[in-house]
Amino acid sequence: MSTGKRRISPGVGFFIPFGAFFLLFFVLPILYALYQSLFRTERSGLYGELGTHQVFAGLGNYAKVFAEGAFVDSVLRVLGYAVVQVPVMIVLATILALLLDAASARGVRFFRSAYFLPYGVPGVIASILWGFLYTPGISPLVSIGTDLGLNPDFLGPNTVLWSIANIVTWQFAGYNMLVIVAQLKALPGDLLEAARIDGANAWQQVWRIKLPLIRPAIVLTTVFTIIGSLQLFSEPLVLKPLTANIDAAYTPNMAAYNDAFNNNNYNYAAAEAVLLALIACVLSFGFLRLVGRRRRG
Amino acid sequence: MSVPAPEGVTMSSPVTRRSVLAGGAAAALGGTGLLAGCTTGAAPPPGRSDRKPGEKITLTFWNWVPGMSAAVDLWNKQNPDVQVHLDNIVPGGSGGYAKMHAAVRTQSAPDLAQIEYHILPSFMLDGGLLDLTDYGVEKYRHLFVPWQWRQGVFDRRVRSIPQASGPMGMFYRADLFAKWGIPVPKTWAQYRDAAAKVRKADPKAYIMAFPPANSAYQTGLAWQAGAHWFRAADGGWRVDMVDPATKRMSDYWDEMLHEKLVLAEQDQQSGWFAQLQRGQIVSWVGPQWGDAILMGNAAGTAGKWKVALMPQWDEDQPAASNWGGSSTAVMANTKYPQEAIRFAVWLNTNLDSVNLLIKGGYGWPALAGAYGRTILNQPNKFFAGQRYNEVFATADKQIDDSWLWSPTTSSTLDSLNATIAAEVNSGGKLIDAFRASQRQTVDDLRSKGLKATGAGGES
Repeated sequence: MSTGKRRISPGVGFFIPFGAFFLLFFVLPILYALYQSLFRTERSGLYGELGTHQVFAGLGNYAKVFAEGAFVDSVLRVLGYAVVQVPVMIVLATILALLLDAASARGVRFFRSAYFLPYGVPGVIASILWGFLYTPGISPLVSIGTDLGLNPDFLGPNTVLWSIANIVTWQFAGYNMLVIVAQLKALPGDLLEAARIDGANAWQQVWRIKLPLIRPAIVLTTVFTIIGSLQLFSEPLVLKPLTANIDAAYTPNMAAYNDAFNNNNYNYAAAEAVLLALIACVLSFGFLRLVGRRRRG
Repeated sequence: MSVPAPEGVTMSSPVTRRSVLAGGAAAALGGTGLLAGCTTGAAPPPGRSDRKPGEKITLTFWNWVPGMSAAVDLWNKQNPDVQVHLDNIVPGGSGGYAKMHAAVRTQSAPDLAQIEYHILPSFMLDGGLLDLTDYGVEKYRHLFVPWQWRQGVFDRRVRSIPQASGPMGMFYRADLFAKWGIPVPKTWAQYRDAAAKVRKADPKAYIMAFPPANSAYQTGLAWQAGAHWFRAADGGWRVDMVDPATKRMSDYWDEMLHEKLVLAEQDQQSGWFAQLQRGQIVSWVGPQWGDAILMGNAAGTAGKWKVALMPQWDEDQPAASNWGGSSTAVMANTKYPQEAIRFAVWLNTNLDSVNLLIKGGYGWPALAGAYGRTILNQPNKFFAGQRYNEVFATADKQIDDSWLWSPTTSSTLDSLNATIAAEVNSGGKLIDAFRASQRQTVDDLRSKGLKATGAGGES
């Protein structure tokens, strides 16, 4: 038996690089945001020229976030979005993965790359690209739709959110598919072979063997998608100049970004950021508990 | 029109104000020790500079005007000892100001920076702007357009050197107006009639796109109508965005929108450009710097445009407006205030420099009498050979120079983008948008720790 000291030290050595950066760039900024969210600035004079100082605000900034409503509206908006976007994304990614995994699939390598390709396009570029496809007068989609008498308005007050959902789905379905494919590849072959010998057809294999066994991958991609929905940022930001229907506080991240960097109110923005992190935590862990309980039950 | 509001904002005696202000600036900078060796007491002595005679120094300048590098190169050629290093940053609203505010906070701001007029007050809150009055800048005042100079004066202290503005006029498709027999509108009432005629002449065409989420535009319209949204009162801010002038303006556009005489659509984006090119948007009541936007994005319509004064509410009392404008600000933590001021003044008054900046499309010069002294007075083929800037030279003189911006203007404009878009979408009344944004503005000012009240019974 080696001594405890000897066994621990290599582990610690490996942990230090990660731990240091984790502390520096993750834990400390969060603590700093928490700290900042508890203060506000008081000024006298028209421009603070007669005195400016920071005072402890307690939960005052949080109360204001709820009172002003714009942030709450943005949270409700992304929650509504998530209710639609998460199932669409996960079902689509799972179907694509199962299709590629099917015994009868042809051109698997080509399609796998093709589905994954949009993920390689940076989010901002993808949004610019789709922005052109949504803009009347430029977009072939709009002109075809108009010729068919549909008069599509992709940037309207009730449609722009779903146009954003389309961009996100286009971008990330392939990525989520790949996570699920990886798990499908790792399924033990003898299990499926045994099922085939027992006479299970392709549908039965999917329902009774594959889907239950890729559950962890589906849970993982669902959590990713929930968090991604709450953190929606670059797509609406890029589409914003094209439409009047995306305001500066359209999503919680945009609201925090705008309050910090356009309105230069870091304390208020910190409160918004902390609230958003809390909501993401509650939803993600809530979902994990939900699926965990079901599994046990 | 003649009330110099930015200078008359408080009523306390100049002596007290001066010492308090200077004390605040010294306190803000005290931590770095930058001023420690140079200041004695409250007011830094005029002439302060860390530059020794004959020493070679470099000033840093953050800017995003396209033609700026040519002007800076010219300066650098002529001033080997005071070199200017130009940092092309992203435009202020797209992140440039965030960078500047952060730099002011950490005492790492550049010596000079481009800051728009409506954003200057937010840098006053940070203590980011040097008090230039201490360095004798008053002697340069006569070189500049008076109202532009005043945009950089706060509490009677000069805080920045004006660079350029955006007097508003009306760009219109002279060929289509003539073809459809529409007289060039001189009043808003005539503009309404013209709008109806355009709709009749070509069902796909509109006289203008009314941008539901470009509130700098509606702000310009309110400014022309005679509104004063932000005023100083009792040591705090008085916000009034529902005054009769704003009401008159918003009622007018309610009607234009409800009768579908204008298109509710964002301007200066790809869809709008496509409509300009096709002759489906046939006028733009816009800023002088819009010339470059039209020429760059609707080149195929060259020779078909002309410029007239913006439509009037009252022909007997002509009023123009302004959209956009920037200053060359000297930042509070510069080590070389004298040299920074010398460069800022040269940049915006030297005719060679101003001509280079005009070519780059920086807007309407802050230089007084610029129209007659620069390339602005040349006829332009895009505008059918018209000396179109003559119109803007007239407009520049008709701008209500008492307009004052608040320290939370960017947030007010954001709020208006949302509230106006909501009213346009629901077919509501624009004045309700201004009322909602007034409430938001009062909240914003208070959340900055300032005193603020709203007009019209709003607290």
